[in-house]
Amino acid sequence: MSSHAATGTIDHHHDPSTSTGIPNKKLLMWAFLASDCMFFGALISTHLIYRLHPPSDSLSPKAVFDIPLTSFSTFILLMSSLMMALAVNAIQKGNLKSLRLSLLMTMFFGAIFLGCQVYEFNNFVFEKHLTITNSILGTTFFTLTGTHGTHVAIGVLWLGLMYVRSYKPTGSSVGGHPWANNLLHVAALVGTLVLVVKFVIELVWSLQGFNGYAMASFYGREFLTLAGTLVCLGGCFWFARPAGTVDFGERNAIDVESMGLYWHFVDIVWIVIFTAVYLLEYV
Amino acid sequence: MRLTFLPTTIAHWARAAMAFGTVAISSGCNLNFWKMDGPQSTINVAGPVARSQLQVFYVTCWVTLAIFVIVASVLAYATLKFKARSEADAHAEPPAQSHGNPLIELGLIGASVFALVIIAVPTLKAIWFTYDVPAEEKANTYTVNATAYQWWFKFDYPSEQIAGVGPLTASNELVIPAGRPVRIDLRTMDVIHSFWIPKLAGKVDMIPNRGNAIWLEADAPGYFWGQCAEFCGDPHAIMRFRVIALGPQEFYDWVNRELAPARQVVPSASTAPFTTHTFKTDWMRNQYGYTGKYDADPLQSWREKQEPEPGENPALIAQGRRLFQSKTCITCHTIRGHEGTGAVAPDLTHVGSRTTIVAGLLENNTDQLRRWIHNPDSVKPGNKMYLGLGGMPGYLKKDDQGAWVPNITLTADDETALVAYLQSLK
Amino acid sequence: MDASAHSSDLTPGASAPHQPYVLWRPTAKTGLMSWLTTVDHKRIGFLYGLFALFFFLVGGCEALLIRLQLAVPNNNVLSAHEYSAMFTMHGTTMIFLAVMPLGAAFFNFIMPLQIGARDVAFPRLNAFSLWTFVAGAIILNVGWFLPDGPPNATWVGYAPLTSRTFMPGHSVDFWVLGLQLLGAASIAAALNFIVTIINLRAPGMTMMRLPVFTWMTLITSFLIILSFPAITIALVELLMDRTFGTNFFEVSNGGMPILWQHLFWIFGHPEVYILILPAMGIVSEILPTFSRKPLFGYPIVVFSGASIGFLGFAVWSHHMFTTGMGTVATAAFALATMAIAVPTGVKIFNWIGTLWGGHLQMRTPMMFALGFIWMFMIGGFSGVMHSAAPADAQQQDSYFVVAHFHYVLIGGSIFALLAGIHYWFPLMFGRQVSEFWGKLSFWIIFVGFNVTFFPMHFLGLNGMPRRTFTYDSNMGWNTANLISTVGAFTLGVGIALYFAVVIYTYIKGKTVGRDPWDARTLEWSIPNPPPEYNFLVTPTIHARDAFWYEKHHQAEIAQEKTAHAQAESAHGGIHMPHQSIWPLIASLGALIGAFGAVYHNLPVALVGGVVLLAGIYLWSLEGVDGYHLHLDADGNPVEDPSAHH
Repeated sequence: MSSHAATGTIDHHHDPSTSTGIPNKKLLMWAFLASDCMFFGALISTHLIYRLHPPSDSLSPKAVFDIPLTSFSTFILLMSSLMMALAVNAIQKGNLKSLRLSLLMTMFFGAIFLGCQVYEFNNFVFEKHLTITNSILGTTFFTLTGTHGTHVAIGVLWLGLMYVRSYKPTGSSVGGHPWANNLLHVAALVGTLVLVVKFVIELVWSLQGFNGYAMASFYGREFLTLAGTLVCLGGCFWFARPAGTVDFGERNAIDVESMGLYWHFVDIVWIVIFTAVYLLEYV
Repeated sequence: MRLTFLPTTIAHWARAAMAFGTVAISSGCNLNFWKMDGPQSTINVAGPVARSQLQVFYVTCWVTLAIFVIVASVLAYATLKFKARSEADAHAEPPAQSHGNPLIELGLIGASVFALVIIAVPTLKAIWFTYDVPAEEKANTYTVNATAYQWWFKFDYPSEQIAGVGPLTASNELVIPAGRPVRIDLRTMDVIHSFWIPKLAGKVDMIPNRGNAIWLEADAPGYFWGQCAEFCGDPHAIMRFRVIALGPQEFYDWVNRELAPARQVVPSASTAPFTTHTFKTDWMRNQYGYTGKYDADPLQSWREKQEPEPGENPALIAQGRRLFQSKTCITCHTIRGHEGTGAVAPDLTHVGSRTTIVAGLLENNTDQLRRWIHNPDSVKPGNKMYLGLGGMPGYLKKDDQGAWVPNITLTADDETALVAYLQSLK
Repeated sequence: MDASAHSSDLTPGASAPHQPYVLWRPTAKTGLMSWLTTVDHKRIGFLYGLFALFFFLVGGCEALLIRLQLAVPNNNVLSAHEYSAMFTMHGTTMIFLAVMPLGAAFFNFIMPLQIGARDVAFPRLNAFSLWTFVAGAIILNVGWFLPDGPPNATWVGYAPLTSRTFMPGHSVDFWVLGLQLLGAASIAAALNFIVTIINLRAPGMTMMRLPVFTWMTLITSFLIILSFPAITIALVELLMDRTFGTNFFEVSNGGMPILWQHLFWIFGHPEVYILILPAMGIVSEILPTFSRKPLFGYPIVVFSGASIGFLGFAVWSHHMFTTGMGTVATAAFALATMAIAVPTGVKIFNWIGTLWGGHLQMRTPMMFALGFIWMFMIGGFSGVMHSAAPADAQQQDSYFVVAHFHYVLIGGSIFALLAGIHYWFPLMFGRQVSEFWGKLSFWIIFVGFNVTFFPMHFLGLNGMPRRTFTYDSNMGWNTANLISTVGAFTLGVGIALYFAVVIYTYIKGKTVGRDPWDARTLEWSIPNPPPEYNFLVTPTIHARDAFWYEKHHQAEIAQEKTAHAQAESAHGGIHMPHQSIWPLIASLGALIGAFGAVYHNLPVALVGGVVLLAGIYLWSLEGVDGYHLHLDADGNPVEDPSAHH
């Protein structure tokens, strides 16, 4: 973090400019995660307390949950953590190409997880008639998993910003910052992910004939989604074209690493939620 | 620094303070307030539960006072002894730069722990004692249910059943047998309230979706003040109640009187002519609502309230009974044996025999009852009788545009008749 | 600490000329813009203090109205509704808008100076904390000027009174959203302080050499990041109930209002220590300075502070002794509460030990600090009485409790904070408060405070419940209430005098040189008012009372400083962070968003969210640039020896 760190080899485990050798950003992230633990602790406790005191006419959670689907999304999230670890490893070795690929894969898996959650929420509300207002189970379940989903979504956005950041041209801080390029690049990336997830979910619903969706009219309905996806994807490729040197490298490893801490934490919280909310009902 | 200015200021303040003190004392201020012998005193207690709590308080008080005297003396001594007293003193060489003494510190920690043990032992004993009726007295325990509403208390007597109706119900005045443990189950119908009769027992909260209970016992017959102790909305300060403890025979008589339906006053031939009484009408908001006679001996006042009022006017009472119906009072209030089966407002079957009205705010007499029904909102702002409850209109209702418009209007004659009727319900 | 690889080599105060307009970096050093875009911890601390003192006066006026209403029985100054709003806002204002930010003002201003740092670890995050605090204060108080009225459901907001059934207006929404913003601001600030204290200590400043005030800052910050999430979640649940009709506290669908109390007090009890630990830190600085000897038993004071913080998470249910928890839970929480008295008592013993054998200089800060010990002792003892659960059943929610926590929060926190203002005033502004007027205000405050709150013990034991807007004249409460009101106005006069004196001193007070108190800690080693870069040369610490050591080893320190100055200059000079407008914009977004949420207005909330996101996005895009200062031994700028652009 010192302004003269660009020279020589970088020690990723010791920052000489701080009293403890831990980089400031890493320490900030650890402290924040401690705080975030308490946020999730309060929400999970709320859920578990109400689980022990269900109202007499409440829905059984077992009648609602779809364990195979949630297991799948849990596995996907675990894989995204693996990808995140690969990304940190790549940037610590200065391997930009590998970093970008790993970040994209992490984002992709995160988006699949979110897609599963959107599908699950829809399924619970419209098929199982569990809503946020009609029962205490719905209230605590949707609030807890929704808060976690928001954390994942923020993580995906952050990954996207970091991915785009890795294309910042050298010397731009003085010679005119390509902030418009940056914004469009982020928009293309996030647009791609959102539209792909929407496309897949609509496809699944149509295959299932869910709530008036039919396979026959699928492409007619989803034409705009498909077109939008292609445009955004094109934008992603355009911005990712090879062009000059970039102001991003090994010294930015700490940024990727602290983001990784956040991502792994969100992943671990999901393991706890999956155990305490879903699996506990089957013990 | 103009020190010359100081003596005048001090003299001025002293004069002002003396003037103020004179006014304060001459206006009846009782400077013996440290005796803490008010009707809600936690020091001047009248039952075993409050006494046990008081004993724990005394233990904590004496232990902390002893520590305070020791620590404060050392602090005062150190301050005076080591104070720099002159310029030379202040600029002297700094004292020895000592950093502490572990032995002293450990010793003091040990002493603190010891002092806390002295407090902890009686605390633990009293926690168990005050929690529930002692096992050997369980059989002798009388049970009551208390339910809190915004902003009044309902008391049910499960051991006094009325055929076809259910348990005996009273409002805002809880009558209990003296010298017997009483266990009270505490419920609330809306927000959190807290049940507190300082002379008999510390408070226990009434929490929605949670069953709590309290036990207490009055040593001897007496009249006790209670009050809601958890903020429950703007009129929280006027959510009060009374507890009347009676000897065995008197309690038995009271129960039998209560079990009977409301009193019927038969119009006789020699009925006095219908007259409008004169009432005091210029009440100020929050004005005191008790007579000196009541204050002197509330229990005696209660006993007197059990007898029919002198000079009853049966025609007026009959008129009041009709108005009670036509003005829709009966939708919320029950008067068992008369019209009215509403259950969301206080049961008025024997309202005339209570010493207080408006959740213990006012004395139950013709003046105060008139004051209450004349303008409920100025007596108890925001009350449900005035604004309505659960879609049922009160004195006001909401019109189509959502504006408050009058719903119940009473003429002076109406008020006179209603007061006479309610006072007759013994 | 935060420059990226390409940020260096900008001349002092210069902007980057080719930045596009969107990423314009403000450079004003004076005027309104310089304050709105400041990232200097001292300016941010000053602003925190300014806002805190303003709200302290607002809360004080609310208190005087409360006392006026209760001066005589059956009084009519305020209606029941106005009274509810008054005590709700008095409590919320004093805790969240006066005492906490006043603590934050000292954390910001003093703590980096005490550890030999040039700023906090994340200067822009610090600015964001400040402005988000201001946004929260606005939301909390805006109800006074709107038809819905200010929050009126007590500062603890017990469910289900706060539900839409019982509080249909938006007054509770102001309270919820206001506290959410204040919580976010507090957590962000606390994270910043934690990293600063752990990572930005000057060479040689080991953890066990940290000044006690800095230690208490660290412990308080940990309490904030670990306890605020509980109330944040409670408020989220309440907000969901009120906005979306969920069932967290909705009894008819199985909600349990008792859950609110648990979540609230899991936050609420550590919050008590968040309010008192900084005060203990300040007193632990003042007593050694004016006794002219080191703090007695430094390690024990530090560890007792830490154990108070730790135990603070295990005693929340002593606020709920009357909720019918059952015998075992009540006993456990009673014993845990008693246990907290030990580390608290230890601190008092150590303060007395510090006085013992010293040369006590009875200056104004010392008077307030001694007043603190006396008053905090009384508050602590009534706290021990509350820990005995059966006795507490009588005291809970009575005026006895009101007396207790005012002894701890005024006699404790406020006295120490007022002491701190006098103590550090010469450092902050280079002027010193007159001893006569300072002491006069102390004595009026001290007398007024005791006359106000001591009679409340009697009122509580005589059965007067708190939060009641009126009482009858036959309860035996008349005299004590009148005395209390007279005391409150005396206290008001004392506080008014205190502020008049401080304002006068700020404008025309006697100027003083460096280190007027002959103090012991590092913040006094720099000129006053402190220069923007704090330390000309990063100091090296050799002992616990770093500046005391410096003063007594001058030759050695001078040599060391010359060597360090050369090394630093060769290393690029003093690095200063750029100012930034984006923290302010992000906070503005939070303010707009909160308004939208209060009125359940989705478009406004979305606009606020977009502004917030845009602020954060541009904040990250502009990067952590900075510039370098090259100064000679007197602090005058010199030509950059290595200038090359």
